[in-house]
Amino acid sequence: MSQETIWDRLQRIDRRVIYWLLFILLMIPFIRPLGLPVSISPQAISLVEGLRKLKEGDVVVVNISSGVSAWPECLPSLVAVSKVLIQQKAKIIYWTSFVDGHMTFEKIVEKVPGFRGLTYGVDYVHLGFYTGAEPTVAQLATNIRAIFTTDYKGTPIDQLPIMKGVNSAKDVKMVISSDTGDYCDYYIRQWRIPYGVPTAEIGIAMIFSQYQPYWPEIIFGMTGGARGGAELEKLIGELGDATVTMDAINTSHLLVIVAVILANIGYAATRRR
Amino acid sequence: MGYPTTIDGILGIWTALALMLFVYSYPLFKENQLFRFAEHFFIGLSLAIAAIISIQTTIRLAITPLMAGKIYYIIPILLGFMMYFILHRDYRWISRYPIAILVGSSIGLGMRGTIIPNILSQIIATITPPKAGAVALSWFNFVYIGIGTILAVMYFLLTFEHRGPLLYPTRLGRWIIMIGLGAYYGNTVLFRMAMLSGRAQFLLQVLGLVPF
Repeated sequence: MSQETIWDRLQRIDRRVIYWLLFILLMIPFIRPLGLPVSISPQAISLVEGLRKLKEGDVVVVNISSGVSAWPECLPSLVAVSKVLIQQKAKIIYWTSFVDGHMTFEKIVEKVPGFRGLTYGVDYVHLGFYTGAEPTVAQLATNIRAIFTTDYKGTPIDQLPIMKGVNSAKDVKMVISSDTGDYCDYYIRQWRIPYGVPTAEIGIAMIFSQYQPYWPEIIFGMTGGARGGAELEKLIGELGDATVTMDAINTSHLLVIVAVILANIGYAATRRR
Repeated sequence: MGYPTTIDGILGIWTALALMLFVYSYPLFKENQLFRFAEHFFIGLSLAIAAIISIQTTIRLAITPLMAGKIYYIIPILLGFMMYFILHRDYRWISRYPIAILVGSSIGLGMRGTIIPNILSQIIATITPPKAGAVALSWFNFVYIGIGTILAVMYFLLTFEHRGPLLYPTRLGRWIIMIGLGAYYGNTVLFRMAMLSGRAQFLLQVLGLVPF
């Protein structure tokens, strides 16, 4: 009977051990942040540069197509972008294609101190939920009032000062889409191409490579996931949740890399016998 | 936002934490009754919220204008009802009409903005060299994307057998595709880790170990 080596045992580690280790490693940076460096991508730089070109009173649409479950990925970018929009004194219209999108809007308002000096309905508004994917996005481009008759609180849209003179994509200076799926594609096809509305994407890490070919010709800026949020936080000089999250992700990746290396060494060592 | 002080706030975060731990009991321990309860509870709740929002939206966008005299709103309402015939084997064919209209209109709308961003701009972006003074990495990316695109497209030349002069370019093309898919998968892992880190942070917040 051959004796069991350490490599054999490494091949048989219970996956639950890895999960527990991963979960514990993820928690450490939240208790004691490590402050690991985050390099800034040109896509994030051009996003902030694009936002900085906005003038006072310009109307910007922020499309929330990410749910509460994607907060660790999308919320930091949404918060950072909202901070810059407020600094530029832009008028911000939020709307969402997710049923829990209003919770994201309320979280943004809670996390951005600049909103406290602004008036809801005058400087910013949340028009609420829309369904229907690309046909609805196309309809929004031609007539916002065909989709939204009230804001998410039920106030008629025509009673909101911010919506005065804002009827279609022609009245909007910029659209920013926070995605976990295809919504930025819809805005590119229905807003950017036909009406020339500058479009940016602040999506989850998973779709970053999907939208990369669009930058910079079609979308002027983009960020991907918590990493993108950390880049924006660094760019605007206000470190926040994403910076800490990146520490946690880095430590967890370290475990994954070590596990992959050990597993491969173990596999090679046991196969040789 | 600090730690919740109201009864419903405290109850809310502890319920959320309990449900989260029920769900994680599956990968961290094994399948059990608590996990199943959380799973069914979550699906039921999500469907209930989605149903309420959908009904509200239908009332806001279709029923209200119809009652206000816009009689043509009866058309989308009828098309919506026709969808439900999909549930009946004998009348399933009726549901094909609204589905056909939906698919047709979506394709039509999608096509109008597809040529420029998905084809023309991406070809231009692929063949446009970096600006003067660009770093070496930009030039590497330019060459890699240019050659990689050609090789990856060659891999899909299925009308010719991949041998002779096509053997090595198509093999390289396959490698390029695999590298691309690897990067995509890497981003997927990054996304899942970020989600998990959010839950880890929430656990610590509820326990009062880090601020809300």
